[in-house]
Amino acid sequence: MLEELANDWPSDASDDLEGKIEISGEEIRERMSGNLCRCGAYANIVAAIRDAATETSA
Amino acid sequence: MRSFQYERARTLGDAARLVAGADAMAIAGGTNLLDLMKLQVETPGELVDINRAGFAEIEDTDDGGLRIGALATNTATAVHPRVRSDYPVLARAILAGATQQLRNKATTGGNLCQRTRCFYFMNIDQPCNKREPGSGCGAIDGVAKLHAVLGTSDECIATYPGDMAVALSALDATVQIASVDGAERSVPVRDFHCLPGDTPWRENVLEDGEVITAVTLPAPVAGVQLYRKVRERSSYAFALVSIAAIVEMRDGVIARADLSFGGLAHKPWHEPRISDLLEGAAPSAELYDAAADLLLEDARGYGENDFKIPLARRTLHAVLAQAVEDAA
Repeated sequence: MLEELANDWPSDASDDLEGKIEISGEEIRERMSGNLCRCGAYANIVAAIRDAATETSA
Repeated sequence: MRSFQYERARTLGDAARLVAGADAMAIAGGTNLLDLMKLQVETPGELVDINRAGFAEIEDTDDGGLRIGALATNTATAVHPRVRSDYPVLARAILAGATQQLRNKATTGGNLCQRTRCFYFMNIDQPCNKREPGSGCGAIDGVAKLHAVLGTSDECIATYPGDMAVALSALDATVQIASVDGAERSVPVRDFHCLPGDTPWRENVLEDGEVITAVTLPAPVAGVQLYRKVRERSSYAFALVSIAAIVEMRDGVIARADLSFGGLAHKPWHEPRISDLLEGAAPSAELYDAAADLLLEDARGYGENDFKIPLARRTLHAVLAQAVEDAA
């Protein structure tokens, strides 16, 4: 997911297919969809992914 | 899962030769076939892995279109710069389907050939004329919420479940097919899938010993492209109704309207009379209603899926209104 975000690959939640992806909660939830690991149920996972994505692209 | 032989095709010729024969099946991403093998719905004696047979490239065609190799993954297609800029309805449709993990494995050819998600088809303890000819259809008078309202038969009311092909149908793309004898042929996506009729096991026009090599898109056209998918969950769910639309406005009238519909039939549904009605007309609610009348004049509900008929009408209204607004 971090690679997708770093490459600005769009998802179903993206408003723009070609622009910079805004790493919103909605984006992260859509991109986690279908991930059956139980980590997906932790309340802080979206914030954690956002932190990691921001660090990676910084 | 039952035991099977595994062979790997290194070339297109290999692939066509190896899949010829009633007991062999090609496997690429396996996102549908492996599920069906675990359920024993599919029991091939031999699996031919075509992942290394080439034809995964996405490349420009001489006439300004795009050729998408049959083994190009759904992800590779959806993120391709030209797909995003010139064929956004295709990118949107792919991104609306499955999940990233599945799209990373699923291929263009496999996606076109995916099977219905009818509960009766996927359960070998249930009757299904598609899986076991002559055994009956459990969905008629059964659990039929996801099922078709257009083009059904007394044998089968299953839907084609995919999103990508609905966009390909609106774009009037072409399926490129190679045969074991070296012959090649092209079939419009709009003619690739079959209605169930009295041969519901036949879902598309591929013959034994044929493999899809690519899908070609015509040169891009002007206008707005939309894909609207209505589903029970906003992610990772099959369409109840979906619409791929390409709409161009000129001087206040609709200059072009190419629409295809998912979730309604055994194939992506394309009704050419809708384009004829809309093109040259000024947009209005009455016009959209007339388009829905054309779409749904022969629609038939089977109880649980009756809701799809008014849902398709409302979705068509919403899509046309949005497209006209965006294109103005």
